[in-house]
Amino acid sequence: MELLCLEMDTIIRARPDPNLLCDDRVLQSLLTIEERFLPQYSYFKGVQKDIQPFMRRMVATWMLEVCEEQKCEEEVFPLAMNYLDRFLAVVPTKKCNLQLLGAVCMFLASKLKETRPLTAEKLCIYTDNSIRPQELLEWELVVLGKLKWNLAAVTPNDFIEHIVRRLPLPEDKLALIRKHVQTFIALCATDFSFAMYPPSMIATGSVGAAICGLQLDSADQSQWGDNLTDLLAKITNTEVDVLKECQEQIERVLVSSLREGRQQQQQQQQTQRGPSGKGLDELDQSSTPTDVRDVNL
Amino acid sequence: MCGMMASYRILSTLANGQARRNLFGPVDREQLQVEYQAALRKDLEEASQRWGFDFISDKPLESSDFQWEGVPGTRVPLLYRTCMLGQAEGQRAPGTAAVIPKRGRVELPQSDKENIPRTPERCVLNMENWEKTPERRESAGVKRKQTNITDFYQAKRRVVGMPRKSGE
Repeated sequence: MELLCLEMDTIIRARPDPNLLCDDRVLQSLLTIEERFLPQYSYFKGVQKDIQPFMRRMVATWMLEVCEEQKCEEEVFPLAMNYLDRFLAVVPTKKCNLQLLGAVCMFLASKLKETRPLTAEKLCIYTDNSIRPQELLEWELVVLGKLKWNLAAVTPNDFIEHIVRRLPLPEDKLALIRKHVQTFIALCATDFSFAMYPPSMIATGSVGAAICGLQLDSADQSQWGDNLTDLLAKITNTEVDVLKECQEQIERVLVSSLREGRQQQQQQQQTQRGPSGKGLDELDQSSTPTDVRDVNL
Repeated sequence: MCGMMASYRILSTLANGQARRNLFGPVDREQLQVEYQAALRKDLEEASQRWGFDFISDKPLESSDFQWEGVPGTRVPLLYRTCMLGQAEGQRAPGTAAVIPKRGRVELPQSDKENIPRTPERCVLNMENWEKTPERRESAGVKRKQTNITDFYQAKRRVVGMPRKSGE
């Protein structure tokens, strides 16, 4: 047991590579290829008969919680959602298989991005053993085929550093800004209305929302020149109006999910006071999805 | 299998929060299996159409945009030979703890090790068909038009063909 605990701490990460982050060609290449990995159809209007938008949100919320609880790398969840959407855009899927698909997508995304990927057993336990590891492995193959083995999709997370580096931001706030941007990106991934947006737009909108949310833009107006949105739009070649709309949409989703989160918490607290509520409080704290509650509004 | 029980318990406690839940009710296992087999079959059919090759009977299709030519297994790079993984695993008795000093890390017994994703056994059979290049030399009378991937490996053939002992 001790051995396992020690192993948990040895996550190896590469340091930020200035050759990648400071070269403009990298950002340009990301912008060029990102559209290739978008789902091809708004699948609720055709391909899917059994699955409703709210079910996508259910499975997405569950996936986010699993990723949070397992302390996955930030990009695992958005990448898994990219796989899920791309699969659902081409394969009619039954409601009862949606969680299996979600688990498979996390399995794949985690293997691509992490030094210690999620295991099939763990993921099956998270489905409350409604699926078996063998089934997960079988469907992994099916999903891979449908994704044409194109797993290295561009995610909004790929743009964060490129955008943040090009903005005049106070050093001491960078870590906080990144955290908030990541939270916004995860939030967007849970909401189907963002599924067809290019990742660069989601990233840019999230950076805008994070800076506005932390009120960094009003602290020193002069350093932003005319407008934060104009500057952001230039970095990722996004149209200003579209970007503004995207940022507002992100802020709306945040507000509604905060409200929902609060309601859910109250419900949980009520149920926890029931027969076997002991010890659950701690878990509740640690597994609350994202740091949304810390975001200043 | 006390070790297995222990690791299972750790996993269960990890996933004991509210995240552990079944979202959409029970899964119809039989139906799932049927759909899985159908999906695989469809993939195979699509691949057959695309490459003009019947991967089940191991023969080129009549109506094909490609001209297929048999190459002996020994000329294929090691990577493309069948069941390298399976052979390596078969040599080790299941359940035996193996220490690999090079990685400086004690390997858990095979059965305990959290799954290193493997191709499900049922698929291995399919994979064999997929990866085996037909050895039909007599059909080599057809004039080659296409560059074969093995052309690029000829210079290295002997090196690649040598059994790799180091580290394994």
